[in-house]
Amino acid sequence: MSTPNIVELYGVTKAFGALTVLHDIDLTIQQGEILTLLGPSGCGKTTLMRIIAGFEATTHGRVTIQGADVSYLPPDKRPVNMVFQRYALFPHLDVFDNVAFGLRLKKWPKERIREAVQHMLHLVQLGEYGNRWIHELSGGQAQRVALARALVNSPSVLLLDEPLAALDLKIRHHMLAELKRIHQETGTTFIYVTHDQDEATILSDRIVLMNKGRIEQIGTPEEMYAHPRSLFCARFLGETNILTGAVRAAETDTTYVDVGPGTVKVPANGAAVAIGQNVSLAIRPEALQVSRLAPGGAGGDGVNALDGVVEDVVFMGSRVVYSIRTSVETIKYQETRSVDGIMLAKGEPVRASWRPDAAVLLTH
Amino acid sequence: MMKGRRREAMGLALVAPSFLFLLVFFIVPAVLLFVCSFWMAQAFKLIPAFTFDNYSRALSASGFYLLTWNALKNGLCTAVLTVGLSFPAAYFIVYRTRGNLLFYLILVSWFSSYLVRIYAWRVILGSNGLINTTLMQLGLISQPLEVLLFSPFATILTLTHIMLPFALLLLVSALRDVKKEYVEAARDLGASNTEVLTRVILPMCYKGLVGAFMFTFVISAGDFVTPQLLGGRDGMTTGILIANQFRTAGNWPFGAAMAFLLLAAFLIVYLGFVRLLDLLRLAPGRRFHD
Repeated sequence: MSTPNIVELYGVTKAFGALTVLHDIDLTIQQGEILTLLGPSGCGKTTLMRIIAGFEATTHGRVTIQGADVSYLPPDKRPVNMVFQRYALFPHLDVFDNVAFGLRLKKWPKERIREAVQHMLHLVQLGEYGNRWIHELSGGQAQRVALARALVNSPSVLLLDEPLAALDLKIRHHMLAELKRIHQETGTTFIYVTHDQDEATILSDRIVLMNKGRIEQIGTPEEMYAHPRSLFCARFLGETNILTGAVRAAETDTTYVDVGPGTVKVPANGAAVAIGQNVSLAIRPEALQVSRLAPGGAGGDGVNALDGVVEDVVFMGSRVVYSIRTSVETIKYQETRSVDGIMLAKGEPVRASWRPDAAVLLTH
Repeated sequence: MMKGRRREAMGLALVAPSFLFLLVFFIVPAVLLFVCSFWMAQAFKLIPAFTFDNYSRALSASGFYLLTWNALKNGLCTAVLTVGLSFPAAYFIVYRTRGNLLFYLILVSWFSSYLVRIYAWRVILGSNGLINTTLMQLGLISQPLEVLLFSPFATILTLTHIMLPFALLLLVSALRDVKKEYVEAARDLGASNTEVLTRVILPMCYKGLVGAFMFTFVISAGDFVTPQLLGGRDGMTTGILIANQFRTAGNWPFGAAMAFLLLAAFLIVYLGFVRLLDLLRLAPGRRFHD
């Protein structure tokens, strides 16, 4: 029986001796999507991928692929293929034979192997490279061969373990676009492991953010960025300003938080908060509005506003990032560079304010 | 330009000592010996000449073939046994253990001298030795087994014991290059454990395999001490014959000619072994398409 979910994990727990690296993970992966396992090193993302590939056994829990329980199947019996971090291309075989490796094991007839390998080499734009030895390839080319070697087996799921980590920045961005194209052309489900939030946001249909062996949040990149559900998530994806304070009042859909001398009005996040409870607020640097204060005319902090002084200006081409020191926290403000140039100077007194719905209330 | 030249000078300086050593103590003597193999000897005196007599004399004696066959047999049996025993051990050490304890324990047997180990085997295999007395006390045999000692069996057993750490060292370092991710990649692509061995591990440690086999083979087949002390009458080898020409008969040219014939036989074995691995598809750098 096939299900719309191509991979399903039920209560997957993994312990190495006394160390538990995965705690009771439930996760479903949908047919055809690019799902990223994102998190800092040691969060368990690679172990989770290796469990799906069959290189690690679960301590508890089950893994199904296309509806069939594969928990006890060795890697060679699972309908998945993997692209390894350092590619692991066989140095004793040339490019063609590397790509043909899986098909030869399946005892395909020679002609079909030739066709399939050539087709796959063309897909990764290495049509003329069949006769090259592995040591003659550049990093980007090796990456493509590794992709071809995995994809030629038409896996139900392609697993990619930090495949771009060994490439330099320029090639990395190019390869991301290539991965997207190849995903579109083959329609294969991708599970992609990375610690790089940029790769994850550019590539993914959905991101699974992991921390300390648990899933922190699952969502589209846009959801994750706009509505982080925890401090960890807010900090891990993109730049963010974190303000902390105690709850002054809680209404059904609005919470008031004392931050330094002022009060912040923020949409309630559904979680129950008690008066006086310490909470955090996340505000993206680009969600602020900053206006110049008249010299000497300090206005004092009001609702959703903090007064401060420009401490640093970093010019980043299309963007300018200002650090503003306020009475509670040094916050970052980012604006798109206007045609008039950089608007604020170091040392200028400014007021930073934001719309209530630009802030996210975080209780943990 | 200067930089390239300095690099070159540096390279030469690094290579020079070992090259000089080999030149003085191996290449020059070998060339002299080769020249000598065309000379004649009369009453312990060397007479410069250019004759193939020494070669034809060796090649026309049936004893030479028999003894060479013995030498090659010793070498091949020892090499097959040694590589056959040390490969699984090396595999276990590289892929199944984290530390190097087992590896060091096996290397420790090197700490005793070659001769000591030969005599140790005499004690174990002799008529009153460990094996015979145990078997007799168990009532399994009534007479001591004489074939244990002074037989090709004793020679091969001892040579295997001596060569095992060498082969292990070579195979462990070769296997260490076959990183676990290659094994995993092959498994991921559908290879069974046996297929991983024949399609990835063996081709990737080809050099170590050929090195371990030939190293063991050449040293065992050319050895004249072990067969002399343990081989018995049937265990005579070309090595002993050659040694006798130099030490007692005083016929250097004849000894040299036999030494080069033996060398030729070794080369044939080498080519045969390499060809065999190629036929078994265990050689790397081979294209399987076109």
